[in-house]
Amino acid sequence: MDRRTFLKLAGMGSLTFASACTLESEKKLYSLVKNQDDMVSGKANWYAATCRRCPAGCGVLAKNREGRVIKLEGNPLHPVNRGKLCIRGQSGLQAVYHPDRLKRPRIKQDGRWQALSFEEAIARLAEKTRSAAARGKNRVRMLTCLEGDVCMGLFEKSMAALNGTGPLVFEPFSHEHLRSANQAVFGVSGLPSYRLENADCLVSLGADFLETWLSPLEYARRFKAMHAYADGKKGLFFHVSPWRGLTGANADAWLSCRPGAEAVICLGLIRQVLARKGPSGISAQAARQIRAVSEPYTREKVIELSGIDQSGYDQMADALLLAKDPLILGAGALGRGRGDLQANIAANLLNFVLDPQLGKIDFTRRHRAEKAAGHGEIAAFFDQLTGNPPDVLLLNNVNPVYALPPEMETSGILANQQMFTVCFSNFMDETAQCADMVFPVSMALESWDEYGAYPDLLSFCQPAMKPLYGAPQIGDVFLRIAPDGAVENKDAKQELISRVQERWGISDTGAWLQAVRAGGRFDHKDASAGASGPAVMPAFQSWFEDPPALIRSESLLFAALPSVRFFDGRDAHIPWLCEIPDPVTKVAWQSPVLMHPETARKYGVRTGDVINLMNRSGSVSAPVYETQNIRPGLAGLQAGQGHAGPGRYSGGRGANPFSLFSLQRTADTETAFYAADTLRLEKSGSRQKLASTAGSMDPHGRKIALTVALSDLTRPPGPEKQGLAMHDFPLTLPMPEGYDAHRDFYPPHGHADYRWAMAVDLDRCIGCSACAAACYAENNLAVVGKQEVINGREMSWMHIEHYQQMDRPDQPIFLPMLCQHCDNAPCESVCPVFAPHHNKEGLNNQIYNRCIGTRFCAQNCPYKVRRFNWHDWNWPQPLNLQLNPDVTVRSKGVMEKCSFCVQRIKAAHGNAKDENRMIRDGEVSPACVQTCPTGALVFGSLMDPNSRVSKLVSDRRAYQVMGYLNTKPAVIYLKKVVHEI
Amino acid sequence: MEKLSFAEIDNTVNATLEPPGRMYWTVVALLFCGVLVGAACWGWQILVGIGAGGQNSPVNWGTYLINFVFWVGIAHSGTLISAILYLLRAGWRNPIARAAETMTVFAVCTAGLFPFIHLGRVWMVYYMLPVPNQRTLWPNFQSPLMFDVVAISTYFIVSVLFWYTGMLPDFAVIRDRAAGVRKKIFTVLSLGWTARYEQWRHYSRGYLLFAALATPLVISVHSVVSWDFALGVAPGWHTTIFAPYFVAGAIHSGLAMVLTLMIPMRRIFNAQRIITMHVLESVAKTIVFTGLIVGFAYGTEYFIAWYSRNSVEMEVFALRSTGDFALQYWIMVVCNSLVPLLFFIRRIRTSIIWLFAISILVNIGMWFERFVIIISSVARDFLPHAWGDYAPTGIEYGIMLGSFCLFFFLFFLFVKHLPSISMTEMKELQHQAGTHD
Repeated sequence: MDRRTFLKLAGMGSLTFASACTLESEKKLYSLVKNQDDMVSGKANWYAATCRRCPAGCGVLAKNREGRVIKLEGNPLHPVNRGKLCIRGQSGLQAVYHPDRLKRPRIKQDGRWQALSFEEAIARLAEKTRSAAARGKNRVRMLTCLEGDVCMGLFEKSMAALNGTGPLVFEPFSHEHLRSANQAVFGVSGLPSYRLENADCLVSLGADFLETWLSPLEYARRFKAMHAYADGKKGLFFHVSPWRGLTGANADAWLSCRPGAEAVICLGLIRQVLARKGPSGISAQAARQIRAVSEPYTREKVIELSGIDQSGYDQMADALLLAKDPLILGAGALGRGRGDLQANIAANLLNFVLDPQLGKIDFTRRHRAEKAAGHGEIAAFFDQLTGNPPDVLLLNNVNPVYALPPEMETSGILANQQMFTVCFSNFMDETAQCADMVFPVSMALESWDEYGAYPDLLSFCQPAMKPLYGAPQIGDVFLRIAPDGAVENKDAKQELISRVQERWGISDTGAWLQAVRAGGRFDHKDASAGASGPAVMPAFQSWFEDPPALIRSESLLFAALPSVRFFDGRDAHIPWLCEIPDPVTKVAWQSPVLMHPETARKYGVRTGDVINLMNRSGSVSAPVYETQNIRPGLAGLQAGQGHAGPGRYSGGRGANPFSLFSLQRTADTETAFYAADTLRLEKSGSRQKLASTAGSMDPHGRKIALTVALSDLTRPPGPEKQGLAMHDFPLTLPMPEGYDAHRDFYPPHGHADYRWAMAVDLDRCIGCSACAAACYAENNLAVVGKQEVINGREMSWMHIEHYQQMDRPDQPIFLPMLCQHCDNAPCESVCPVFAPHHNKEGLNNQIYNRCIGTRFCAQNCPYKVRRFNWHDWNWPQPLNLQLNPDVTVRSKGVMEKCSFCVQRIKAAHGNAKDENRMIRDGEVSPACVQTCPTGALVFGSLMDPNSRVSKLVSDRRAYQVMGYLNTKPAVIYLKKVVHEI
Repeated sequence: MEKLSFAEIDNTVNATLEPPGRMYWTVVALLFCGVLVGAACWGWQILVGIGAGGQNSPVNWGTYLINFVFWVGIAHSGTLISAILYLLRAGWRNPIARAAETMTVFAVCTAGLFPFIHLGRVWMVYYMLPVPNQRTLWPNFQSPLMFDVVAISTYFIVSVLFWYTGMLPDFAVIRDRAAGVRKKIFTVLSLGWTARYEQWRHYSRGYLLFAALATPLVISVHSVVSWDFALGVAPGWHTTIFAPYFVAGAIHSGLAMVLTLMIPMRRIFNAQRIITMHVLESVAKTIVFTGLIVGFAYGTEYFIAWYSRNSVEMEVFALRSTGDFALQYWIMVVCNSLVPLLFFIRRIRTSIIWLFAISILVNIGMWFERFVIIISSVARDFLPHAWGDYAPTGIEYGIMLGSFCLFFFLFFLFVKHLPSISMTEMKELQHQAGTHD
């Protein structure tokens, strides 16, 4: 071999060797050679649909990128939510991509689950139902969650064809006591709309309209319309309840009362109103009846019976008498026995006495939730299942085993071998585990459907993506199992089209397309609506024959509390909802037992002690959380968690308050109550660290979450002392004009065209945490799990801080906290490798690839909003399909933080450049701003003197959190306006 | 002082280099195992992420930076003894100067590891090097961490050179007495030292130069380290007292470490006649002095916090001594400023047991001083909602064990293989003593 050959061979050999041995896997991006018509790689398509996470039915726009829905936003045209979504609406997307979601139907054979194909499952189901139908009447029964008219119609027709009665609607939060109260007082068995925005004084007897009550997002908006500071005015809101949840935290005064005493208080108020104003505009008979029930409740008696604070009660009574437009809301949906019904009736009476025209209660716009069966009907249904079990029981998206009192022995009834139970569910929840067949159907984002919460509302669901596992939608399943000819249309979409044509007069394709694009028909006025208003005054007195049931025992009472995160428990498996802490307790992942420190002391327990709460019905085990937000003598537990079963995010986590309820039947079979007996408390001896994200809720007198009295704002501003100390440091804009040679070491930054900034109006923030959920969805934030939250490693870029108000420590205040994009950012100067970088539009960018993980920036950040990737976090498949392709997924060892959704700013830049113009004010909305239900967040450029943010910055209430550090934050807060009561 | 002949000095020091026994190797092997434990913990941390430790938000820095500052501090009094006291002609330093200087070198080595261990992405550490690169990125010299890189590497280089220069004449002595491979090694190490007049002249000039160069470094390096904190905004960090406070603390801890090392060493090597009680007593007296400075600094911090009328500062300091980290705080105060006061009593500062015990206590106290500074300020900083706690994890303890083992491993190797007492300087001392007779 000569030298040249040797060199050639050696060269080739080593090259081959080197090229064959790479550790890197092939990382290639493939784009489709032939795209779908409407799919452009890198560009999102938006499909209008309806959120089905709760009966409120908000309109959503689903952002589809390359075939996958990656983000939900509110549909701005939709009248329920007007472009906003709540924390659950934002997080609902994760249900679609949930790793526990069933891929195939399964059937239980000899106690073991066997997978079926969809076709096999439908065939089996059809065979079972048809043979059952052939055997006689009512051999097929059905329980369903609340569905739209079209779907319900389809169920009814199919059930009729199967020789059965229509399905019963089961919703754990049925609001049936509100409905019964309306029946008793106004003769309308329905749920009206409340025009909160027209009220100037609002009293809630426990109605948690910011958490779960009727339509929380809609009422949050309406509430802020009356309760946000504008033109020197701000409405009043009193919350009467034994505990203070999110709704109570937003009240001007929380008046704590004994559980069940809300009706007493309300009757006392009625008595005062009648005494001082007289029964004007009410028929004499009605006045007599009302007087009869309210007469015993003198001020002294009310205070004695209810345990309400005396001066608070007087203030509330005075405010109600002074108010031009008072409105009373009844009790919440979570059962506390007959007290709820009494409170609702009393609230109706008070509304009637105050305003006989009922101008703020709209019986023409009735909520669909009224179609849900009451506790009595549900109990009767299960009684029938026991007494005369049908051959086939169909359960659509309901979880009665979880949500019904244990004494009803739902799981035992469902396990009956005679009965073939089919559960249309995507998850192996408690009910699915008892079923004989579990049939996953496509979810709302994958189906053609319709759900309007109000009669005049057509709100579409359309497939915003292909069904992830190819599951058929439930309508199609019913069309297949019903005997031929039962329904004229051959698929659910056809059925939807014909029903919509019939009912809404959408006849041509153009109108149909337009409606589908818009998400529905929102301007429709139904001629049939408006017929039934408050008419008569039927007998309500029977409910007050025995005085309101007040348990005045010394023993521990139980309160099930509504949760803004988990609703009735259907959302407990959503990782984002578990990870984002409850805004009031600030505890994530767990459901602790809320106890007043006095109660805790009495029972010898303290925060973190795991206790067992037991009563006749059942028992729960959970750690104690001491808080002033609950009345002494009560143990409160938020609803939603405590699921049995294999759910990786929900299984065995937290405790289920429904398991402490028992069913109280009344003489009237229609009406039944859930109530919890007194509790026995047992210490388990073990302790559990709470996954709390709040270090301290005491602001320590610091300039963090500030309030201003309404009366101060009505006075002209006096001269303000300016200095360099914490509370007199002037507002310093993150702009060149904020430069002061005496204070600044570094020269001022110039900006090119834009200086992005955000204004946060604390007066509008209700703490609902929808912003946090939107941020998780938009920016690929990792879910770290309970242990890492305990370790202090949650990754939220945006979170709600809960503080006591500085002047009134008994009153809470919420502060959205995110990267302040300081002009004089402490993080920027300390990084050795320039990973935090100040861009020419004022953004404080974090360059992930540059970051080496010294964590100095986080140490030096006074706002502690930087988040470090302590590990490589994982997105169990297929949750990774939700990731936003416009945002990097960060790896371990890298710092990250809020970017003001820089990807959206860049997109707006692109659009503006295409059209050769500047970005318009309001054109860019970070995810948090976009979703804020009350419009507390405003984003824009400070370089534009006409932008909304520039205007807000010059508001009298504007300040910067810890501004005296001279960080010159670009997030400007507006003080919360408080009433001096 | 006792009169020693040059031969006695040479014999005593050379005796330390006799082939060591089984006991020695056992200890060395155990220490090496400790190093491996630390390395394994670090490896695990690189694999799973910094989350293997106990750091969190808000306490983003944990034991890694505590140990970093601790070891840099230890390093300082080595230089103080070898350089500053040399310039000040404090004769009592000569017997311990070599060991102290060695301590400096190894402590800087150990300290230098911690910034690496601390990094989230240690494999990207070269981003901090100021070399032209295709990323067209230059490090940010505004960052105190870049000051650190420069300061620590300068300090390391100067210390190593100073240490090595000082050993040259001693290497020659060993070379002359050694045989075989050892002779060859020391021939290379001694760089042809023949003790000619020219060489002595250059040597003493060079040694003086290094001493003069090292002296400002003692002040500057730890001042720079203190700026990691003082240039931050966190309450309790952002204070001008930090540089002198850190330097005093560093010397305090270093002197204690010198005692901790010297006392067993003189016992093991029977060097009581060289490292005399007078030497130890002098170190003890200096510890009293540095302890008072440190105690004064503790008081000053509280005074300034109160004087500032800044509620954040006041609360951070109030919580330091009464909050969740009160135990650590009081360990720090007692061990660093109160216990050393016992050295005012002559009987205590001349008792080997007391000297050793107090030196250990001061070391512990100084470790906790860094704990208190690094943890308690950020754990309770500006926004109460972000407040959090911190506890090190097993991985961190493993790495800490590894660092101590590494230091003692290197030191153990040193004492049996290199002259741990400077023969040259001992002879100078004898010579000077002789002339004064």
